[in-house]
Amino acid sequence: MRRKLRFSRGWCLCLVVVHFGFAGVVPSAADSDVPEVAKTAEPPITESDRSHWAFDELTRPRVPTFDSAASADLTNWPRNAIDPFILKGLVDADLSPAPEADRLTLLRRVSFDLTGLPPTLAQVDRFLNDSSLDAYEQLVDRVLESPAYGERWAQHWLDLARFAETDGFEHDKLRPDAWKYRDWVIKAFNDDMPYDEFVRLQIAGDEVGNSARVATGFLTCGPDMPDINLQDERRHSFMNEITSTVGSAFLGLQIGCAQCHDHKFDPISQLDFYRLRAFFDPAFRFTKNKVASLPDGNDAGLVSHLMIRGDFRRVGDTVEAAFPRIINAAHSKPQVAADRKNLRTRLADWIARPDNPLGMRTIANRLWQHHLGEGLCDSPSDFGLMGDTPVHGELLDWLATEFPRRGLSFKSMHRLIVTSATYRQSSQLPDDTSAELIGQWQQALTRDPLNRLFSRGTRRRLEGEAIRDAMLAAAGQLSQRRSGPGIRPPLPQELVHTLLRNQWPVTKDSAEYTRRSIYLFVRRNFRYPLFEAFDKPDTNFSCPRRNQSTIAPQALMLLNSKLSLDAATSLATLIEESADDSEVDAERQIELAYLRTLSRPPTDDERQLAAEFLSNSSSGKTAALTDLCLALFNLNEFLYVD
Amino acid sequence: MTNHRRPSRRRFLLQAGGGCGAIALASLLSSDSSAASGIADSPLAPRNTHFAPRARRVIWLFMHGGPSHVDLLDPKPELVRLSGTPLPESFGSVMTRRNVAKNPLLGPIRPFRPRGESGLEISDFLPHIAKHADKLCVLRSCHGDSVNHPQSVYQMNTGSILMGKPSLGSWAAYGLGTENRNMPAFVVLPDPGHGVKGGPPAWGSGFLPATYQGTTMRAGKNPILNLSPQPEITPARQHEALDLIRRLNQKHVEQRDFDEELLARVNSYELAFRMQATAPDVVDISRESSATQKQYGIGAKETDEFGRRCLLARRMVERGVRFVQLYSGDTGGWDAHKDVTTNHGQYCRRTDLPVAGLLDDLDQRGLLDDTLVIWGGEFGRMPMSEQGKGRDHNPWGYSVWFAGAGVKGGYAYGATDPVGLRAVEKPVHVHDLHATILHMLGLNHESLTYFNNGRGDRLTDVAGKVVHEILA
Repeated sequence: MRRKLRFSRGWCLCLVVVHFGFAGVVPSAADSDVPEVAKTAEPPITESDRSHWAFDELTRPRVPTFDSAASADLTNWPRNAIDPFILKGLVDADLSPAPEADRLTLLRRVSFDLTGLPPTLAQVDRFLNDSSLDAYEQLVDRVLESPAYGERWAQHWLDLARFAETDGFEHDKLRPDAWKYRDWVIKAFNDDMPYDEFVRLQIAGDEVGNSARVATGFLTCGPDMPDINLQDERRHSFMNEITSTVGSAFLGLQIGCAQCHDHKFDPISQLDFYRLRAFFDPAFRFTKNKVASLPDGNDAGLVSHLMIRGDFRRVGDTVEAAFPRIINAAHSKPQVAADRKNLRTRLADWIARPDNPLGMRTIANRLWQHHLGEGLCDSPSDFGLMGDTPVHGELLDWLATEFPRRGLSFKSMHRLIVTSATYRQSSQLPDDTSAELIGQWQQALTRDPLNRLFSRGTRRRLEGEAIRDAMLAAAGQLSQRRSGPGIRPPLPQELVHTLLRNQWPVTKDSAEYTRRSIYLFVRRNFRYPLFEAFDKPDTNFSCPRRNQSTIAPQALMLLNSKLSLDAATSLATLIEESADDSEVDAERQIELAYLRTLSRPPTDDERQLAAEFLSNSSSGKTAALTDLCLALFNLNEFLYVD
Repeated sequence: MTNHRRPSRRRFLLQAGGGCGAIALASLLSSDSSAASGIADSPLAPRNTHFAPRARRVIWLFMHGGPSHVDLLDPKPELVRLSGTPLPESFGSVMTRRNVAKNPLLGPIRPFRPRGESGLEISDFLPHIAKHADKLCVLRSCHGDSVNHPQSVYQMNTGSILMGKPSLGSWAAYGLGTENRNMPAFVVLPDPGHGVKGGPPAWGSGFLPATYQGTTMRAGKNPILNLSPQPEITPARQHEALDLIRRLNQKHVEQRDFDEELLARVNSYELAFRMQATAPDVVDISRESSATQKQYGIGAKETDEFGRRCLLARRMVERGVRFVQLYSGDTGGWDAHKDVTTNHGQYCRRTDLPVAGLLDDLDQRGLLDDTLVIWGGEFGRMPMSEQGKGRDHNPWGYSVWFAGAGVKGGYAYGATDPVGLRAVEKPVHVHDLHATILHMLGLNHESLTYFNNGRGDRLTDVAGKVVHEILA
């Protein structure tokens, strides 16, 4: 078979498929084959298990230094401690860093990266005219203070949290308060909430206090089947799903593999899985036809069990809440109060401890991943033996130890990463450049084709959400309203027909239709078409990294959808209103169209091409300008950030 | 153990994310020799199968809601005899959706008769399909894991009762690629009423790239979402805009090392443009003869709608679409809780003749030899009654039939117990059904895997046995 068809090696396939068997109806031979084990055996953790890079103790590496023999060009390149790590990798591969990107490119890059929006014309002017030495650093500070920052970074987190505002399954029922958790995440980012608190409130907000309860939306925003006949089955799926999600989102472990049997590759036993689940077991209440809830106070008397082969009908040994052994060499036990009112708080505090190697490495890697397009470890929710081994393991460890030194502040880490020389590298060869630079560039493409050494800037496609927001922003349509219940803008009728009746009641106030994408209602069994075409992940599973496909329906969407045409029409109107309708103004119109969509004036060639387009158009002036705007929305330069 | 490194995103893009764009690229370059390599690199390029396939394409007639096997395909004399009495205690306790276990048994609503040369018994509910009895292979011992609709719809489509896994159609598209570069590999023709229980994830691609998900198509001028420009955009206007896009993108990619991802997107516009020309033609049935249209029941009130979609299915497979799935039944569909006579009467009248017409037409065109036609729902129905004349869901035993692609015709495989409650003889779990379908497509279900979060994930989870006995 061709390369994408891999041959199975009997790997664990049951992350999600709980073993449902025959539901007690057909007597199953398979079931009786399995001896019930009285006391579950557990493979010990070996030294070799612990030596895997991700489980290994977290120590702070030394920042590489370069001897004076190295060329001054290289030794002067680093701007902060990140860069020597990257530079060392490049020098070892006989490569040089790429030149710094030009100012406009940097502005667009940092703006989309931190806010998910293009810079406004005023921001462009201000930055391009700022001659101070630290103009870029100041820009970064300004951008980080924008409330759009939280709206951008919250989406990364909501992907991990498999956030949706409905149950899924047949009725896909509405959860009327789910949006409050989305708003909480946005605010947490904007307030620069320290990571330990961020973790604690999401895992144990109800234990901390009533006002923090909303943050536990992290636990409850996954799929649920409240109407299923067997409520035991429902509870089991729900608890296992939470346990798996906590494992992958906070610890970078595919712990869900161990719900049916010991993990095939990683040193995670089935008991480890159910011990982790035991932190959550006492907390939830399930009522048929009602959404799962966290009542006040845990069920202190509840006893947790291992479920044999992950089957909800086969109760195994009792287990007590404990941290996964692989990263708990000391076998330390959570210090839990008699009423177990701090059970999950203990787990959260352990996850976010500065010396938790998985906790810190996972989040440090995620930060890097979203800034640089690719994690240092490129399997960001699987740091286990089947995951990727980072090329820059030392840099990852340095970042993982730097994060607590910076008070577990996301904003401080963003500042660090985006002001590095590494981040500022150009993703393309500058136009008029030396033969030497061309040679270096070709060498980088050859020796580092996947850019795993970060020998140049990363070009990135905008996500569906950012594409929509950028179109609305360019068109001057983007609403400044923030927070509140999810918005349901009108959808094409043929899509509404694939849903059950009344699953998409359109929001009444049409002014809401142009809110930022993060405020659109998230239905679990239906993705907003533009987002779906551009790889918005399924909300049934925690998603650490989005696919990036290039498919014809994306082109159809951007070219033909009402959304695109509406934005193009608005942009054309805006341009006509701001440029006087006189002869010279075709040129000004073209310039405005470019500035608003691509944040730059057109080149001479582009000016000419666009002028010809406008004058040769078979339709009227406004229509031609609309078409120009629509074309600009469809450009690679609009969809990709250099 | 080999540490099977997951492909990095960028490499992944080079291999798969080129999407249809890469196909279009190949087509653009088709005047020179680089075309071949361009096609080979695209995720929808036709691929070699694991072994010689019996079926080159699939038409799956999905009777949404759960058609009653005991009323249509699985004759049970014992059920006739016991009708009106409770389920004998020897059957043990039964889990049901609506607590019907203690309700009186309900005999088949209409009589079964032996049909064709084979004598395969089919109910009077399906007089037209019955004429093709000698082509049908009825799997009478199918079973699944959930008494609920959406879980069972997901399982029948994806193998898992949980939502979000890749559907059989998307696995087939992934494994086989497409034969028509202007059309998606996997097309879904939903019921024009409201959606299935569980919604679009039923034909989703789960963790497989979006390229492989089912593309929903409809009859009419705009068969694919956003296929045509908004009404005010004339073809001339669009052509001018596309030309401008192409020219500006060209310059852009020249300055960026001819980045393959950018190139793929440039060319996805070419494909989009060609789809605009191709797709409306595929769904334009006006060119079919009136005899053919009549064969599908087009023009007759009850059969017109489903007949049109059956004809579309044939036109699509004829044009190289690998996998076409048709849904009969909107939100409720075949879900005959209250009255089997009314419900199934209506759905059989709508679908029986068109399905028979489809079988005839495929046969006449020689397509049936290597086209697998599947007929079935997400489960069957209980032998016990509900509300007197209705029946509840039954995932524990039910029938699905196959036709074409070298399956044994006039043949019944496996059996339910004497009342049709549970699969007892040669049970065929949904995983087995999937393994068999993949096998017929030339794919080994254990080898067709996709690396996902640390594992090679597959359609059949850790189960699945190919039912070799049904193959002629």
